[in-house]
Amino acid sequence: MFRIHKIIAFPVFLLILCSCAKHHSLEITPIPYGNIIFTFSHNVNGESLKFDTMLYQTSLGNNYQVTDLQYFISRVSLHAVKGKWHDITTDEGIHYIDSRNNYSCSWWVNDLLPSGSYDSVAFTFGLDEKQNTTDRFPNPPERDMAWPDILGGGYHYMKMNLKWKNDTMSQSLPFMFHLGIGQIYAANTVNPDSIIGFVQNHFRVSLPCKLDLSTGGYHQVMLLMNVDRWFDGQNAFDFSAYPNGIMQNQEGMFRACMNGKKAFSVTITN
Amino acid sequence: MKGIRHLSEPFKDPLYLVLLFFSISSFLSMVSCSKKAEQTPAFHATPYTIQIPLHFPPELNIPANNPMTVEGIALGRYLFYDGRLSGRPGPDSLMSCATCHIQEHSFVCGIDHPVFTGGHPFGLTGIPTSHYMLPMINLVWTNHGYLWNGMISEDNPLAGYRTLEDVVSIVIGMPEEIHGDTNRTKAMIRQIKGYPGLFNKAFGSSIVTEKNIARAIAQFVRTLISADSKFDRFMQGNVQLSGSELNGYVLFMTEQGGDCFHCHGGDGNPLFTTNLFYNNGKDAVFTDPYDRFSVTGNAADIGAYKAPTLRNLVFTAPYMHDGRFSTIDEVIDFYSSGLVWSPSISPLMHHIATGGVRLTPSQKADLKAFLLTFTDSTFVTNPAFSRPAKMPDE
Repeated sequence: MFRIHKIIAFPVFLLILCSCAKHHSLEITPIPYGNIIFTFSHNVNGESLKFDTMLYQTSLGNNYQVTDLQYFISRVSLHAVKGKWHDITTDEGIHYIDSRNNYSCSWWVNDLLPSGSYDSVAFTFGLDEKQNTTDRFPNPPERDMAWPDILGGGYHYMKMNLKWKNDTMSQSLPFMFHLGIGQIYAANTVNPDSIIGFVQNHFRVSLPCKLDLSTGGYHQVMLLMNVDRWFDGQNAFDFSAYPNGIMQNQEGMFRACMNGKKAFSVTITN
Repeated sequence: MKGIRHLSEPFKDPLYLVLLFFSISSFLSMVSCSKKAEQTPAFHATPYTIQIPLHFPPELNIPANNPMTVEGIALGRYLFYDGRLSGRPGPDSLMSCATCHIQEHSFVCGIDHPVFTGGHPFGLTGIPTSHYMLPMINLVWTNHGYLWNGMISEDNPLAGYRTLEDVVSIVIGMPEEIHGDTNRTKAMIRQIKGYPGLFNKAFGSSIVTEKNIARAIAQFVRTLISADSKFDRFMQGNVQLSGSELNGYVLFMTEQGGDCFHCHGGDGNPLFTTNLFYNNGKDAVFTDPYDRFSVTGNAADIGAYKAPTLRNLVFTAPYMHDGRFSTIDEVIDFYSSGLVWSPSISPLMHHIATGGVRLTPSQKADLKAFLLTFTDSTFVTNPAFSRPAKMPDE
């Protein structure tokens, strides 16, 4: 009787031991992957963005303050030295940022990224044709970025709600610096009935960096937006030129996007 | 003797003792688990699943500690309509949620109410509410706080000021509303025949508690879903809008038209509200101590209030937090040419330089025609939302 006990007990005990040993070995085996977290920071010429205060001035002399800054980046990728790259697949590579919401300003990427050296990070500002589909985001806050179907559909690439004022004005005026799909109108009108085509205003941003992705741990990739760059540069943006906003003004959106390509920079914390 | 020796021998083996210990432990833990399972009270309310209408957000605001159940909703419906919620037996002291929240007006009291003149309700004390009423529509999707200023919100550091359940509890006690007393209300409901049994079915206990009163009413309110307007059927491809309605649709959805959609949604957001807060240019000076600023302390929120849903607009006059507009036409006129600048005006009111969006008379008519496509008559006649045919003690 006792022998039978022992015969059964020993293999069971060994099995338990083996199973424990196996778990243990999983913990110590090196994984050739690293992880990253994207963080998003917003500044005006190096100073952290302060909301709702008329602190800033464009090169054209327009004073401005920002109330809301919300935008999408998509098709985020990391590029290795030898021409290889890794497309971020977490959340289909799309992230929504609300600069007033700390939660949205950190993006924990689940992708297991091969260890090694990367020399740039790239993303699409806004959403491209394939991803910018109406009803893609049924829940807020992304839902509240919806861009009207009759104006091209999908979502705002960016909503920057601000107020501006120049020296000749007695009071500030609202300005909706909203970017998305542009429209081409048949005549000198903004009647949606006369739309003959749409313009995809999203653009690609590629930022050189030195990211040595070592095994384990998290590396922080901070994407910084200099808000002032949207208004300054070769296409200096004059708020007074667009009294009705730019959602239905492709020239205004084009000008803004040309500036926006230089609005971003990156900082890596290895 | 031989047998005894055989039995005692294994106990001298340390390995056997270890194995025996694990076996006994496992057995005991199994027994203990099964005993716990036996001790679980046999309470099983019937889960209720909200059917998400086409294009509506899948994410619902239902707290984990108050899941929807058929029994909870049924109890909540009784309580919603029971004037004895005030805890007072006298016929002139009865007040329920439905005293002011009237279904035919999308659960506001209505501008033509015989008692609440002009649609401004007051409580049992006679003290009027701080603001006029918000329609009680699709609150299960409210995600930025309840009431005109969003004070009742998950972000509120004060416990008891965070959920729809909290709104119910507060309303029962407020002098401007039901002016109840927790103990008196509980005692009143407890002694009404039928209620203890309904509480037991809904929450597994026949004890009437303030918490369960609030939970039940909140469950019922979360079922008040409007998704059967002409616009909904248009979005589903089942009906076509008229020419005028389509023109209004374009005005509603364009920045250089009426630009309503930035605050009130539209295609992409069939709730017809972002549930966010805006100073929409009604005044230059603000004296209301209960605006959004009173919640956030941010000067940019002075004079800001929640953008209400536009669903069933035709039933919910008067309009704005202070009920200043009696008709839809007055509201359209206001946005067309009546905007007033103030330092805290919302950046979305970008037509302020011209006093509004400057619609022509025909555009105003088109916009109104489109707004009326949000009318959901099913909602205001749905028997599931109406007063039960009999109260629990009838």
